[in-house]
Amino acid sequence: MSTAGGIIRALNSGVKHLAVKRFTLRYPEQKLKFVGDGFRFNPETGVGIAGLRGRHILFHEHCTGCQLCSVACEGIAEAIGMVKVNETWKHNKKAIMPQIDYGKCVFCGLCVDACPFYALYMTNDYELSSFTKSALIYTPAQLAVKPKMAQDVDIKIDDRGATHG
Amino acid sequence: MTTQLPPGISLEKVDDRIMTLNVGPQHPGSGHMRLIIKVDGDYIVSCDPDPGYVHRGEEKMAEYRNYIQNIPHLERPVIHDSSNILYPYCLAVEDLLGIEVPERAKYVRVIAAELNRCIYILYWLAIYGIFLGHSTMFMWPAGDRELFIDLLEAMSGARVTHAYLVPGGVRNDLPANFEERCLRQVNYFEKRLKEYEAIFYQNPILKARTQDTGILSKTDAIRLGTTGSVLRASGVDYDVRKKEPYDVYENLDFQTVVMKEGDSYARSYVPYLEMFESCRIIKDALRKMPKSGSVRTKLKPNPKGGNDEVYRRVESGRGALGYYIVSNNRPEPYRVKISVGSFRNLICMPYLLKGEKLGNMPAVYWSLNYWPVEADR
Repeated sequence: MSTAGGIIRALNSGVKHLAVKRFTLRYPEQKLKFVGDGFRFNPETGVGIAGLRGRHILFHEHCTGCQLCSVACEGIAEAIGMVKVNETWKHNKKAIMPQIDYGKCVFCGLCVDACPFYALYMTNDYELSSFTKSALIYTPAQLAVKPKMAQDVDIKIDDRGATHG
Repeated sequence: MTTQLPPGISLEKVDDRIMTLNVGPQHPGSGHMRLIIKVDGDYIVSCDPDPGYVHRGEEKMAEYRNYIQNIPHLERPVIHDSSNILYPYCLAVEDLLGIEVPERAKYVRVIAAELNRCIYILYWLAIYGIFLGHSTMFMWPAGDRELFIDLLEAMSGARVTHAYLVPGGVRNDLPANFEERCLRQVNYFEKRLKEYEAIFYQNPILKARTQDTGILSKTDAIRLGTTGSVLRASGVDYDVRKKEPYDVYENLDFQTVVMKEGDSYARSYVPYLEMFESCRIIKDALRKMPKSGSVRTKLKPNPKGGNDEVYRRVESGRGALGYYIVSNNRPEPYRVKISVGSFRNLICMPYLLKGEKLGNMPAVYWSLNYWPVEADR
């Protein structure tokens, strides 16, 4: 193949893409849809359920303050600390619950694996930016809130290429 | 006026023929490393690679954490290939603790590893494109990489640092409709991959830049102990997946890609052809995978390895990647040694660059499939 022919073929394969839709996610307007409601465990079988590993959600009615999530995090990110809460649960005599510093968390989800009472799951919420470091520390009360997410965009594939639509 | 120089340091004079250049330590491509290059005019006289700027002490860190806590930080050296760098660790720990892995988990691990290999090669290819001034080749692989990132995100829940493989299987089962979605995206990707051929690999400009530069002969490749795509581009048919099959690779249908030329072009072409083989493995694994069943053998909370040592290796995106683990009856390993492909391929850089033009340095350097962060660990 001649040099000129090769260059024309290379240009041609690029020109063909003028007719192809753009494969770009317009992020703040569009948000990717994830499978499920986040990484969690099935309490009956004890098997993990696939889902995005975003911000945690803490179920106060299940948490016993056993600190296993904090122990699991010790060698990894040291993001979880146990703090006192003003709540009385008969299964949580010490009234301590995890508080997570998202400035340190690496979202590995091993704390969810470690929780024997299925009190700590992860959610689809990944937009955690803030102006101060202290605002990244989520107290047990903040962790109990279920996030509201509007994620609906999926990768679509047709004859004219793949799009986010 | 003469200034007193510290011992061991000499100044170069203007009329010296040889000039020393420091390429790096800021990103020549990705990650920090330095090449001390001596040039005579436009030609490289000698090259001395100087890695170590991103040393993190991963091996020492592993001695203070138990077998599960080691998982997130051991994938940090190559976050783009995080499943493949964890794979030998999981195999080694399973040998140490004597764990059986469920059949379905073996297939899921192979799928995760092959998806991750494609993610790594696409990232590498994108940077190779921009190294050679081909900006379309930066945009296309970086965009198509999204297809695989999307699939691994659905499997594991994270876009880059997956922490998906664990000793005993994988963290969670595949989501519903994964097979269908995976097949659709992999089939589309294979179609896309064929377009790379015309715009990049058959492009006369790329061929002029890369063909006959940095030729590594077959005997040199073996003598220097290179691995991965560098070894296969020099005509040695060696792939850990074929030679020492782990998990279910022996049941799967794929071929080793071998080229004879041993130049930069062959070294960049072999990973591209391997992506087709990876797609074949993924599709074959999806077909042969048991449709249901357990994916994880539960470990004891703080498992202890016996007085034992074990070495396991896999084929990563950069070549053979092995873990040597010694345990002494404690929950933490006594010693973890990671043998990575990047570091072993670095040794041939002085041989390849000697006599080359300085302008060919990026084409040769990045064709070695070298990842500085992994080499330093």
